[in-house]
Amino acid sequence: MKAFSLLLAIAIIFIAPFFGQIDLNFHDMLDKSSSSYLLFWELRIPRVTIAFFSGAILSLAGLVFQSLFRNPLTTPFTLGVASGATLGTAIAIVFFAGAVFWQYLFSFTGALLTVFILFLISRSLKTTQTNSLLLVGVALSFFYSAALMVLFFLSDFSQSYSIVRFTMGSLNIIGFDLVYPVCIASILLLSAIFFYRTELKLLLASLDFAFLKGIEVGRLTIMLLLLTSLATAVCVSIIGPIGFVGLIVPHIIKTLYQKSSDQLIFPTFFYGGVFLVLCDLIARNLGASSDIPIGVITSLVGGPFFIYLILHRNRTH
Amino acid sequence: MLHVDNLSHQILKQVSFSLACDQNLTLLGNNGSGKTTLAKAICNLIHTDNVNVEGKKVTHLTSRERARYLNFVPAKLSIYDEYLTVFDYLKLNVVKDTPSTHPDTVLELLEISHLKNKQCQKLSSGESGLLLIAGAMIHQALYTIFDEPTANLDQAKKIRVYDLLKNSSCFHNKIIITHDLNLAYKLGYPILFLQEGRVHYHGECETFFEPNHLQKYFGKSVKNIEGNFVVNYDESF
Repeated sequence: MKAFSLLLAIAIIFIAPFFGQIDLNFHDMLDKSSSSYLLFWELRIPRVTIAFFSGAILSLAGLVFQSLFRNPLTTPFTLGVASGATLGTAIAIVFFAGAVFWQYLFSFTGALLTVFILFLISRSLKTTQTNSLLLVGVALSFFYSAALMVLFFLSDFSQSYSIVRFTMGSLNIIGFDLVYPVCIASILLLSAIFFYRTELKLLLASLDFAFLKGIEVGRLTIMLLLLTSLATAVCVSIIGPIGFVGLIVPHIIKTLYQKSSDQLIFPTFFYGGVFLVLCDLIARNLGASSDIPIGVITSLVGGPFFIYLILHRNRTH
Repeated sequence: MLHVDNLSHQILKQVSFSLACDQNLTLLGNNGSGKTTLAKAICNLIHTDNVNVEGKKVTHLTSRERARYLNFVPAKLSIYDEYLTVFDYLKLNVVKDTPSTHPDTVLELLEISHLKNKQCQKLSSGESGLLLIAGAMIHQALYTIFDEPTANLDQAKKIRVYDLLKNSSCFHNKIIITHDLNLAYKLGYPILFLQEGRVHYHGECETFFEPNHLQKYFGKSVKNIEGNFVVNYDESF
């Protein structure tokens, strides 16, 4: 089963750039002046790459959040980071119309500001009050949603459309400029989580147990949460808040592997990436006149599969 | 040296005692008398400034020093991670810069090698109890506090654990919380008896088990049958 999944995943990654609304002319793909070359190297490859690393970040972040909060429903967006990014983008769309650069900058600032606010609040919380931080995140999300509503009222029709479009997520990028930050953030996150894998395992076993084995439970939890939020911020500011990936991929991996979190780090990272590549592949090939928003596909594919998994899991237990 | 100085917290009222190096202690008391609270306060699981270990306030120890000095073995194993196996759990008990025994050796000593790859959540309460003790043997803290280490064990396992508590070189200083007076008597460690959060007796084991003390602290619920202290079920009516 595992070998089959791995082969299938690798196959998905390799075929993904070759399929889309426009058929590629394979003979021209190495000819720099042809449209197939541009389409393949400047659009499809960067798109598949950013899909892979974004999916990896969102999934790994989901694994970390679900482990630290001990709550299977928490996702990378629970602390309000994605809402912060969305609000930032909306501000850029309404007040700096048309400038894509400002959108990225404001989006990242919104997410980063949220991480900063969380950091400040976490310092005044007792170290064991992780759930309070969760509630602060939920409250921030509501606040951002309200602020977003205000912006909707201030915006014209096309601006409203742009804001809504951002919230659905998009992997439409040209060239590699935006791929690098996501790629670097994902590798850094993977390294950090792998470095702290034993500590994560201790925290997941029992908080008192981790404390007795010499772990600063509160400090470590907050550090891992902020680190994960930061990587999510980089990702969300570029591709938008793509839902469901962070929620379902860790569950799928856990059900497949039936191992402790420390042994799920690499599988979650890899299959999370593949999941988003697959969803994007579907989004680009459903035959509609334009791509279906990626967030719609992740939820359409993920929702039923997730319910199937939960039912299946309950039957086997 | 472990020193508890005038500790008042939750149920505990002005608890003071010291434990010299190479000294052990048995902690007795009725349900709700504050035994576990005291144990948690000593290990800093409950934050208090009234505990000193090796000349330092427990709250001022670095996390690594704290792990090297103190360990608390709870009465029940509580593991959130459903896929954590017995072997993985034991490996997590290794504390950096502290000598430890190999998990396989400990599993053999406790005669539970067959559980090695079993998930912790699927253990019986007795097996969980043995696993907790196995974990403490790997951790090898300077002071280990056991909360009812024999509560869920069968008779043969009780003897096995008694033997380990008494003789194993893995444990340095022990504080043993128990309701099993026979175990307390056979261990022979000094007794600290708590009642409603106050220290009512702190002294030698032999003296505590004199009839007048037993009568004072346990009424007629305990009887001495040829040097074995058993629950007097005849008193029920």
